[in-house]
Amino acid sequence: MSVSNLASFEYLEKLPGTTFKKLYKQPSTALAIFRRMLPHLGKDLVPYLRRPVDIVQERPLQRDEALSTLSRLHIITVTAPSRDEPQVVSLTPAFGKSLRLALTGGGDHQSFGVPSSDAGTANLDIPFLDEYARSQWEGILHYVVSNVADGSRHGGPSPSSGVKELLELGNLVSRGKRVYGGITQAGFSFLLQEVNAQVWTLLLLWIENAERLEMVAVEVLSFVFMLGSLELGRAYNIRTLKDSERKMLPNLVDCGLVYIPQPTPNQFFPTRLATTLTSDASALRSVTAGFDSALSAGAGTTGFIIIETNYRLYAYTSSPLQIAVLALFTKLTTRYPNMVCGRVTRQSIYAAISHGITSEQVITYLSTHAHTQLLKAAAAKGGGPVLPPTVVDQIRLWQIENERMKSTPGFLFKDFEDQKEYEACLKYADEIGVLEWKSDAKRIFFVTKMEQLRDYIKSRKGK
Amino acid sequence: MPRAIRGVLIECDPSIKAIIMKIDSESHHFVVEELDDQTLVIKENMLGELKRRLDDQLRDTQQPPEDSGSD
Repeated sequence: MSVSNLASFEYLEKLPGTTFKKLYKQPSTALAIFRRMLPHLGKDLVPYLRRPVDIVQERPLQRDEALSTLSRLHIITVTAPSRDEPQVVSLTPAFGKSLRLALTGGGDHQSFGVPSSDAGTANLDIPFLDEYARSQWEGILHYVVSNVADGSRHGGPSPSSGVKELLELGNLVSRGKRVYGGITQAGFSFLLQEVNAQVWTLLLLWIENAERLEMVAVEVLSFVFMLGSLELGRAYNIRTLKDSERKMLPNLVDCGLVYIPQPTPNQFFPTRLATTLTSDASALRSVTAGFDSALSAGAGTTGFIIIETNYRLYAYTSSPLQIAVLALFTKLTTRYPNMVCGRVTRQSIYAAISHGITSEQVITYLSTHAHTQLLKAAAAKGGGPVLPPTVVDQIRLWQIENERMKSTPGFLFKDFEDQKEYEACLKYADEIGVLEWKSDAKRIFFVTKMEQLRDYIKSRKGK
Repeated sequence: MPRAIRGVLIECDPSIKAIIMKIDSESHHFVVEELDDQTLVIKENMLGELKRRLDDQLRDTQQPPEDSGSD
């Protein structure tokens, strides 16, 4: 499963049951969740569950995992275990009905969009849509970066104020806190993700803040799932959309998920960013690979960075986005038409760290974008490290230099009644893996999470 | 009944801990509980402020080595 999948998945699991009921009214949502979110065994199970059945007996570990995922997504209900009857699993009615509709293509729900048949709807060609999506998306990424790297020329289109606000709400960029605002640690992680994960991150931000933007989270979510089921390069009718969905379109246009041609404002084209939202992981990878090479236009290949043992860095790129990213942690000195030179210095790494970028992130960035020559050299030495070890170590050391203390948020437990209680709680905390620090002499300990431990202490009291 | 206190566990060198205690002695806004020479618990919302104050204190005492080498 890809990262993006996990992020959207975690968000879904947190939603209450009533939200799911509303979501599953749309067949496209039911199908998207079925296709994209479920583990394989879960997918296998669903078709058998049209009627309530006893829980299958084989492969207990995977089975339990699959069943718990299914029930957390409110796809199935499991009866409570009792002595007289075996446990019974059944599909929730809403999901079952919608999935059936989606698979058989029946009903009049229009949840897969209505193709537009207006005159003059010459379908736009796919390369144009790709180019449009790329330039919009690169504009957003560039905004995230150029917030910091001042002085870099801004080539692509600037994102709308709505998108800028979202990026700030999501803490991907910060403004005002320091003398000049800038990219945050979350923002840098965002940059390192693959495009599909980035789109999901932004969409989830949007959904989480839907109320502030006067939209209903459920509607946004089901609209997003609908977009994922549309066909690339085909025009869809705007007039059949609900009012609320029409209001969302401008935002999606800003992100490059949707294109609305000027002469025919009643139709919209989903771009590749939108149609791959809920597609299979394998299909996704090839698409993102295509995108990556598009993003690194001018460099030709994804790897473009050469770094030497003397900390000198040569990057064969002319993309302002990549140069801006490099400027976050490199002291760039010279720019040629097809490459930039610079040095990784203590100051430049300190500057990156003060923005919340970690040394590990810098190293990951350098090694994922390492030039093929570096990869070849590493392979020739029998698969050694790609980056010069001295540089990697030094970058880590520079970060440690500034970290004078290790901090762990959590809870301090104290005032135990007797040694027995202390030991029992300590043992439990250790077993569930939350124990961080203890002092037997003072009978206090520190844990990172307290919910389970609190319940345990309560149940001890109950005895 | 044991008590649970929310906070941030700080693990550091004794020398750094001494500086933290000195910062705290001015206002008592930071430290929740001293645990031992190298560990203490501070208030969760004060971590950023403490880091900043610590950097201020150390800037006067430590000289960063000059960057050698030229471009």
